[in-house]
Amino acid sequence: MKADIETVLIDDGVIWIASNDDLTAKGATLNELDDDLRRVLLESGRYKAGSSVTVFMGYDYSVIPTWIRQYAYHYFNRLVTIDL
Amino acid sequence: MSEVNRKWHSGMATSEDWWAVWLGLILFAAGLTSILGVDMVGWMAKPKTWIDPGWKHWIKASGHAYKGMHPLASFAMTYAVFTALTCLGAYSMKLNVKKFFMGWTIIFLTTWGCWVIGHEGHFKALKTSQTLNNPELYGDDVYCTTKVHKCTKEINKALKELGVDAKKGELPDAATASKAVDMAKHAKRLSWGLQLGGGFSFILALTVGLIIGNFTKGFAAFLKEAAKPEWYIKTAIVYLGIKIGLMSMKAAGFVFELAIAGMCATIVAYLLFWPITYWMGRKFFNLPRAASAVLSSGISICGVSAAIATAGAIRAKAVLPVMVSMLIVVFAMFELIILPGLYVAIAPDQPIVNGAAMGMTVKTDGADAAAGAILDELQRAYGARKGIYWEEGSILASAIMTKIWIDMFIGVWAFVLAIIWVYHVERKPGQSKVPVSEIWHRFPKFVVGYFFCWFVYLAIAVFIPEWIKVAKGGAHIVQGPMRKMMFMLTFVSIGVITDFSKLKGMGKLTLLYAIALFGVVAPIAYIVAWIFHHGMMPPIVTP
Repeated sequence: MKADIETVLIDDGVIWIASNDDLTAKGATLNELDDDLRRVLLESGRYKAGSSVTVFMGYDYSVIPTWIRQYAYHYFNRLVTIDL
Repeated sequence: MSEVNRKWHSGMATSEDWWAVWLGLILFAAGLTSILGVDMVGWMAKPKTWIDPGWKHWIKASGHAYKGMHPLASFAMTYAVFTALTCLGAYSMKLNVKKFFMGWTIIFLTTWGCWVIGHEGHFKALKTSQTLNNPELYGDDVYCTTKVHKCTKEINKALKELGVDAKKGELPDAATASKAVDMAKHAKRLSWGLQLGGGFSFILALTVGLIIGNFTKGFAAFLKEAAKPEWYIKTAIVYLGIKIGLMSMKAAGFVFELAIAGMCATIVAYLLFWPITYWMGRKFFNLPRAASAVLSSGISICGVSAAIATAGAIRAKAVLPVMVSMLIVVFAMFELIILPGLYVAIAPDQPIVNGAAMGMTVKTDGADAAAGAILDELQRAYGARKGIYWEEGSILASAIMTKIWIDMFIGVWAFVLAIIWVYHVERKPGQSKVPVSEIWHRFPKFVVGYFFCWFVYLAIAVFIPEWIKVAKGGAHIVQGPMRKMMFMLTFVSIGVITDFSKLKGMGKLTLLYAIALFGVVAPIAYIVAWIFHHGMMPPIVTP
């Protein structure tokens, strides 16, 4: 599974946050997160309007309380295609 | 530092699930060296059924090669080996090793305290078959401080030396019978006995754990770093793979039938539990779609891991499965306390149906295996009172088998849910994809260790049968006292982490959980278990 951009995904109970060293996008829903990511990517100037970017979002499991980790060790990962 | 499962090997060194495999396989490999004539596991301490107090009555080393080992040395060696291995695991999992070490030591000592007390003869010992069949000759007060069939053998041997061949149906007079009982090493006369078998140790460990978890909360918090019931039970289940492998050697038909019936029952149960509970949540409790889906998986599939998998699949924020998980952990305790005794009371002559129903009803692996272990003890004690001696662990195996199928399907189920959610419920198709690797990330890894151990012993039986006898030497210790110790650690730990006060403030969810569990899941599970398992009986141990 090859992606153009890899990010770490977390939520603080209210908003979703996808980030890496170069970018941070936020949204109350995953749809809003993807919209914000589109805006951030366009504003970065690295991608042209009209192009498509594949973004991998790996959920950071350290957000989940420690006591739960013994029951399950994975939340979810997303692979999103953003049309700029 | 972030923890993202990106590669197929993510978590191999850092998750409890994988560490159950490593802890399991390290001692599995050590046990297997008996093939080479080396006993690398015989130092393992095991409790003895005792009447008189004292170290030599309480504990002994398991292996023949360690027969002269002082019980305290055997106990110290057991502590040292398991402490080293679990602390290594704790370090790799980035736990606070100092806190883990202290918590582990207290839990270990508590576990052994309960285990030894639980082996006191008046609580544990079962009556000999001679006492059950001919109390007027032998007396009604003869109990066994070892397995009943062994004790029966000892008395019959003594009778033969006294000129009475019990195997040919000859009956002794009362004086000869009494003398034979005196000659049998493991037959003791007791003024009273509860005949609880090994189940008493389990119940005692659970009770002590629950007292710590609910009445000494500060102390429970101190122990929390090492109170890891799922880690301990998954390790025990890897050891159970050896037991299943050994059972395959002598009762292949039973094991195969159990595996197939367990799989069929699990699929049917999935298709019934989930939609009914989801519908109840939406229709009668007006729960949002996400909450209803997460709760349905938690109640109907496999507790916390299913709730987390489902919440992840439907892209819910993490707070939802965390809340549902608290509910599941507390309810699992009710199931563990109520169901084993209830099943034995209702259908004592259906041990395998009871075991399979347990596997489908009790949520979380730890609680299910614990309930299965209690059921195994209660059923065998019931059987022994009727003169039937069922193979130890076979009823537990039926409870674990259905649970393992359920666990394995979680990844697939969550993947299907994710597809439905992403493409049909929330999003426009084509924009977001569900990586197939999600199935592997959610696959319970301890199952790999369980099947590996099973198939290695099966392969020995099929391809190198001349190794069976020597292979059994190490295997019996790993799947016997080591597995039972991991169960005991689970009982104490599960009690420590269960805080009943957490149910406060979860009114609607708690009510739905209780209704769905006891009104829908438990009855349907029993019917499904009966359809697929009725007529199956555990292998018999012959005196």
